[in-house]
Amino acid sequence: MEKAYAQALTNVLAKGSSEDEVVSSLIKHLKQAGRMKLLPAILRELVVLKARTTTLGATVEVATEAGKADALKEAKEAGIEASSAVVNPSLVSGWRAREGGRLIDRTGKRALIDIYRRITS
Amino acid sequence: MDSIIKRIEAEIAAHTPIKDQEETGIVRATGDGIAEIDGLERAVMTEMVMFDPTFDRTLEDALKDSNVVYGLILNLEEDGVRASILGDSSKVYEGMLVRRLGRLLSIPVGEKLIGRVVNPLGAPVDGKGPVAGTVERPIESQAYGVIDRSPVNTPIHTGIKAIDAMTPIGRGQRQLIIGDRGTGKTTIAIDTILNQISEDPSTRPICVYVAIGQKESKTARIVADLAEKGAMEYTIVVTAPASSPAAFQFLAPFAGVSIAEHFMEQGKDCLVIYDDLSKQAVAYRQMSLLLRRPPGREAYPGDIFYLHSRLLERSAKLSKEKGGGSITALPIIETQENDISAYIPTNVISITDGQIFLESDLFNKGLRPAINVGVSVSRVGSAAQTKAMKKVSGKIKLELAQFRELEAFMQFASDLDENTKRQIDSGRRLTETLKQPNGKPLAFEMATAVIYAATNGFFDTFPPEETAKAEARLQDFLTRDAQAELKAIRDSRDLSDETVEALRAKLTQFVERS
Repeated sequence: MEKAYAQALTNVLAKGSSEDEVVSSLIKHLKQAGRMKLLPAILRELVVLKARTTTLGATVEVATEAGKADALKEAKEAGIEASSAVVNPSLVSGWRAREGGRLIDRTGKRALIDIYRRITS
Repeated sequence: MDSIIKRIEAEIAAHTPIKDQEETGIVRATGDGIAEIDGLERAVMTEMVMFDPTFDRTLEDALKDSNVVYGLILNLEEDGVRASILGDSSKVYEGMLVRRLGRLLSIPVGEKLIGRVVNPLGAPVDGKGPVAGTVERPIESQAYGVIDRSPVNTPIHTGIKAIDAMTPIGRGQRQLIIGDRGTGKTTIAIDTILNQISEDPSTRPICVYVAIGQKESKTARIVADLAEKGAMEYTIVVTAPASSPAAFQFLAPFAGVSIAEHFMEQGKDCLVIYDDLSKQAVAYRQMSLLLRRPPGREAYPGDIFYLHSRLLERSAKLSKEKGGGSITALPIIETQENDISAYIPTNVISITDGQIFLESDLFNKGLRPAINVGVSVSRVGSAAQTKAMKKVSGKIKLELAQFRELEAFMQFASDLDENTKRQIDSGRRLTETLKQPNGKPLAFEMATAVIYAATNGFFDTFPPEETAKAEARLQDFLTRDAQAELKAIRDSRDLSDETVEALRAKLTQFVERS
């Protein structure tokens, strides 16, 4: 039940409704339905949903500062649109982008690890 | 050094990224060998996933330990998936990247596996190096349908007189071995493997011994025993020891049957031993509870029957059009206090084509193998029994049943008439004849000759308690002086009038000499 409430809240907020209005409506509804005990569980579910949105949100990582613009452009062409890119020197070269369950990995690190595994297996 | 440099150069030159786009997920929570994963929206049941430890590490750290851990998707849920971790679950952490592999769980199968000990993923664990020249085969597959099968019509000899005579097993049959712990279930299975050495190599079945939840020391002893007696030349051992994750113990029987199916489809005969399915059921129960599936009777999940039926249905005797290969299954079930009416035993009894019930009371009385003749049955094996064995063993079950009744009567009756005494003595001799030490399976022709001697009164001159000694002497005598008769039985698989005549003459000669 709490999952359904949390999901509904997220959907309503995504459509642009005011947060204050949504929360007060929810509390009013829960009081009327005698389900106030659900409130902590709904909060927990909202935290989980937020964490999921963050971890599965669009991210672009690049190996060097200089490659940021190109990486964002290429990622957008590949279908992943992020507002900014994060520099991660451990990638060696290239970039990688992730959104939802999708990963595009065009880094030198990945290529080197693939080659290493093939040679050592 | 040059060759290494060349190889690395070639790999770099040939390198193309595996895939431009991949479907991935993130571990939300993990514990008890189960991982909850966000993402992987298009994942399918029993698909393999890879927990990649290299994603969020530096290249240097990633290369130090680039070993991946695999997982098996077992729950598809509204907001993610749950996977069973196939390996060291301590290496899986929250936030770890999980990659879809796009293939169902498969294992390598092929001729090169023969003589090897592998885990349920097909990885060798015998220290003899990697297995080359194999092909991948999914662990789960649909059993052959009615059209593709033919009736069970060829025997598989266990080398155990009591079984070959009273509960014969045919190629393609599923015969359950059931009994309390320490009643000799594994011994029967191992003796059956050992006995195949006396089969002609062209018809000798390839044996797959699946050890589920067993002590590693026990499996090591069995492997050493098989190797010492030359049986590893046609045997593959799949082991998921008690120390392995529950997922391995659940998968081991499926891995075993997949390996056997590969040979069956090439027209070969296979014998698969599942030792034991009660432990697999317990492992599956553990996984199901951790996966939050609703528990049913004895906390087993609702699909526990299907778990065993879909496994054992894969044993088959294929039609000639399909190559005529077969998989014979000898599943083992451990009972508690001889209770065969418990949940898992009744399930497996109803799935299989018969059962060999071993009783601890009989075992403690010294009757080994401790087969309870009354409860043991083979539903399809008699159609596959050789004519020779059928001819000599026809009366055994009835005689033993009468003997058991008289034996009970004897407990309180003091005066017995001569006829009853004779019947009791005959029953005792027959019981003694059916005793057999472990690790000493008997060739089919020798078993036939011995049972013929027992059922036709050739041991009547010996006191019942000396029947075992007399039988041992008879075996020596027949090996030495009756090679022609034994060969005739072996070649014809029948007891012709002439063979019976010749055998009787030899047996009479033995009785006179003794």
